[in-house]
Amino acid sequence: MQHHQSKLETVLRALALTLVVLFFMFPIFWILLMSLQTNETILRVPPSVVFEPTLANYKGIITGRLETSAASLEINFLGNLWNSIFLSVTSVTLALVLGVPAAYAFARLKFKGSEDIAFTLLSFRFAPPLLVLLPLTLYFQQMGLADTYIGLIWVYQLICLPLILWIVRGYFEDISPDIENAYRIAGHSWFATFRKIALPLAGPGIAAAGLLAFIFAWNNFIFALVLASADKQPVTVGALAFITASGIQYGQIAAAVIMSITPTLALALYAQKYLVEGLSLGAVKG
Amino acid sequence: MSDSVNSNTKRKRRLISRRALPYVLSLPALLVCAGILVPFVTAIYYSLQRYRMSQPWAREMNWGENYVKFFSDSDFWNTLSVSLQYAFLTVGFELLLGLGVALLLVRRTRVNNIISILLLMPLMTAPALAALMWKLMTNPGFGILNYFLTLVGIEDFKWGASPSSALFTVVLVDIWVYTPFIMILLLAGLRSLPTQPFEAAALDGVPRWQQFYRITLPMLMPYLLTAALFRLLESIQQFDIIYAMTQGGPGDTLTVFQVEAYLNFFQSTNVGRSAALLMVLWAITFFISNIFIKNWLRLRERARGET
Amino acid sequence: MHEKEKGLARDFLEGKLSRRELIKRFSALGLTASSAGVLLNMQATNALAADFDWKAHSGKTIKVLLNKHPYADAMIANLDNFKELTGMDVQYDIFPEDVYFDKVTAALSSGSSEYDAFMTGAYMTWTYGPAGWVEDLNPWIQDPAKTNPNYNWDDMLEGVRASCAWSGVPGEEVGAGDAKQWCIPWGYEQNNLAYNAEMLDAAGVAVPTNIDELMAAAATLTTDNVYGIGVRGSRSWATIHPGFLSGYANFGQKDLNLEDGKLSAAMNTDVSKEFHGKWVKMIQDSGAKDWATHTWYQVGTDLGAGKSAMIYDADILGYFMNGGDNAMAGKLAYAPFAANPEASAPTPNIWIWSLAMSKFSKDKDATWNFLQWASGPEHGLFGATKMDFVNPVRKSVWADEMFRERLDASYPGYVEMHDISAPGAKIHFTPQPLFFDLTTEWASSMQQMVAGEIPVDEGLDKLAESVNDQLKDAGLG
Repeated sequence: MQHHQSKLETVLRALALTLVVLFFMFPIFWILLMSLQTNETILRVPPSVVFEPTLANYKGIITGRLETSAASLEINFLGNLWNSIFLSVTSVTLALVLGVPAAYAFARLKFKGSEDIAFTLLSFRFAPPLLVLLPLTLYFQQMGLADTYIGLIWVYQLICLPLILWIVRGYFEDISPDIENAYRIAGHSWFATFRKIALPLAGPGIAAAGLLAFIFAWNNFIFALVLASADKQPVTVGALAFITASGIQYGQIAAAVIMSITPTLALALYAQKYLVEGLSLGAVKG
Repeated sequence: MSDSVNSNTKRKRRLISRRALPYVLSLPALLVCAGILVPFVTAIYYSLQRYRMSQPWAREMNWGENYVKFFSDSDFWNTLSVSLQYAFLTVGFELLLGLGVALLLVRRTRVNNIISILLLMPLMTAPALAALMWKLMTNPGFGILNYFLTLVGIEDFKWGASPSSALFTVVLVDIWVYTPFIMILLLAGLRSLPTQPFEAAALDGVPRWQQFYRITLPMLMPYLLTAALFRLLESIQQFDIIYAMTQGGPGDTLTVFQVEAYLNFFQSTNVGRSAALLMVLWAITFFISNIFIKNWLRLRERARGET
Repeated sequence: MHEKEKGLARDFLEGKLSRRELIKRFSALGLTASSAGVLLNMQATNALAADFDWKAHSGKTIKVLLNKHPYADAMIANLDNFKELTGMDVQYDIFPEDVYFDKVTAALSSGSSEYDAFMTGAYMTWTYGPAGWVEDLNPWIQDPAKTNPNYNWDDMLEGVRASCAWSGVPGEEVGAGDAKQWCIPWGYEQNNLAYNAEMLDAAGVAVPTNIDELMAAAATLTTDNVYGIGVRGSRSWATIHPGFLSGYANFGQKDLNLEDGKLSAAMNTDVSKEFHGKWVKMIQDSGAKDWATHTWYQVGTDLGAGKSAMIYDADILGYFMNGGDNAMAGKLAYAPFAANPEASAPTPNIWIWSLAMSKFSKDKDATWNFLQWASGPEHGLFGATKMDFVNPVRKSVWADEMFRERLDASYPGYVEMHDISAPGAKIHFTPQPLFFDLTTEWASSMQQMVAGEIPVDEGLDKLAESVNDQLKDAGLG
């Protein structure tokens, strides 16, 4: 898509982009400002950007003690943060281990019923979570999976696996099979071909799918709440602890939001090279 | 030693025949997910019962009665209509906006790449928490957005608290959270389009807007469909944003499927109705996705044929 | 170590020393008020140990599910005393209030034996009890072998105690008939008036004493930046049960009628329509602009931030807002409120944070040991005087001179408000299994009335019709 831009177009584009950035980034910016204020300055009328910044919210979250209007409040947000990281990383890893070979099978080795199986896998993503969750609590109880990380990681596959499967599958499909065929003819097994040729070629697709799955796993809320005890809750549940009977601690919620975005953002920035390319379903290479 | 291992694995490889290989590869994934089928079947069973946990003595099979009742239940039709409105409004706007933003960022410059990652930040904010922050920003007393509105002369805009603007408000938050998802998928698609067709068209003197309709859009179709599919299926099941912003109110303005089913289960413990509602929702998503997948496969074939 | 302190505490418990004198001497010894409280409590529980075998379940561990709340904080602060007294261990899981009851429902409906006891509200036991998820606690309370002689069950405020008991017969009043004690009151809230004294003084408005005065006062107090009256308005049962139902009950109105064992809607009487009309107009004229999204949190935050002049809501919400870093801390005052000019006294509907025992608990006697301690008079007094365990449910705590003085000093009018309204305080709803369905619909209907989408009379007739349909459908009407 190469073309020359007129001066007017350049200006209009810049203007449009500024508006877009404003719309999407302003709330984040505002949350960042709130995280540096006390509840009192947050609730000022009219709102103002002039305030004395304080790190009290972050300090409280990290030390686990917050002084609120009624009493001091003990919270374990760092524990929640660790749970989120652990659950998201292990779930996405497992989903990659299970999903990438399956995606490869669907893309390369067309077989009887492959479309049906692929669709069935995808359709798990459509099932309303509440629908399966409630009977699941019963079965988990009986199987001893209630309140275990293993049980949670398993349920998280509902979020991660279909997403990875479908994005990576498209990527595999769009990579020309010629190189793989050549490698196989040279006498290598399918597994060696898969590992040495297909996987590296699909790298960006896998990275991008993994990152999206990570974000969706990170944002999940209901699974851990229903299936696990307090020490296994992610940040999404943990941040609600700042809504207390004696008032909403907006400053601390804002700080919690900022802290919960940071790991994902760092990951996205680190993988930025792959992210956009990886979601192109491989067509660049085609 | 390595020889024996080698021959061993070779034998194993032969054991996994070419025909069985794809099943072996996809089976673990399928098995892990199939565990979910058991609770799913249980949920179907619940939906065929008169089952309210606070009245255990009245529990009995009533077969399709929960479903039949929906036909004469105005609350159900309201739920259906609100859910569809919400889903189509959000996905429609998000597709348009996402496409627009992707077009703005299509050049591979460093600045564009950084912006595209930064724009993902709303997606990284858990919707339940994002909604809480928006609720504060739209507070008529000290919300920053209301302050901006008063600056341009709009007083007393009630956002989620008024039936006339509640839908607009939650749709706006949904757009804020999820447009980046569509943007990043479409951006990937746009950047992967081959250049030849555009060069040829430019040589033929085809105007740019025609190039967009005749070349860009058709070739982008698989990406648009993927994005629309994933979003539509999630959007029709929206819960976090709506529940956190308005709890389904004011009145019955925003009682979408998951909000109704959630209240039915967790508050009323009316398991039968809750499960039946969710089954209807599941059927809708299954239907939509079927149509999409068929088109998706066809379009991908075509798009690949063109390159 | 601490022999001197322990001796003082013993003297106090044996009646040789007044409470005030005791605290004075403690501080002379360099003890802070709260550690003195813990120590005193330790002595008090030690004194109890003489009459009752607290160690019967020594070595056992129980787990309780708690809501993130000042009541839970007060219990945790005193928990070591329980452990020492009984030799038991208590583990606890705390969940944020926003999701707390979802967690409880999920745990109980799956038959999980993870939690032996949990915090609940009385309304919830109207589901949990019939569902077979909680134990009737009467057999324990009545059994002298299992309950310590100083527990003093009759010390609990009658209305509050009765409100935690229900026969399970739909429509039968709380505490009536063959009532089961589904939970034990822990701390409770009455719904009355909390107001910004400074604003009322500045506007020259007297503290309103009935609904008409309240409407007029709220209207006068409403300015560009401040609204007159804060009440909840979200689409939830929580909108109906505080101020609204308290005022409604004051006019002798009921939610449901019970005739020949059949329930029917009672909210479309003429008196009800008139009260609804006033309530709706009050919100339209002088309520929050975003009333329809207001929950406990917004009602409280606005009062504390000086955005509203009065609230007709939980008394302890006003209590919390009078402290900490709230802009209006120290400026709030409290008054009992009888909406009906003809009524002799207020009839506040109440919310009771209570403790219940899970039916799935593996050791119920040990669990009862914890429950009787946590709801006992010693912990109640410790929590009320040293922590924010307010409002106490025990008469002995309300009679405590130190407690009354502490409240009076920082919360003007609070004690008097409680004394006046306590006799009429109870749950004014009709217990039945559809409680949450019907109250949510009631709130939804009220939202439509306030938004002007439907006239009040018509809205109530429609609501009554729908309520009757649902009752019939559930086999109750």
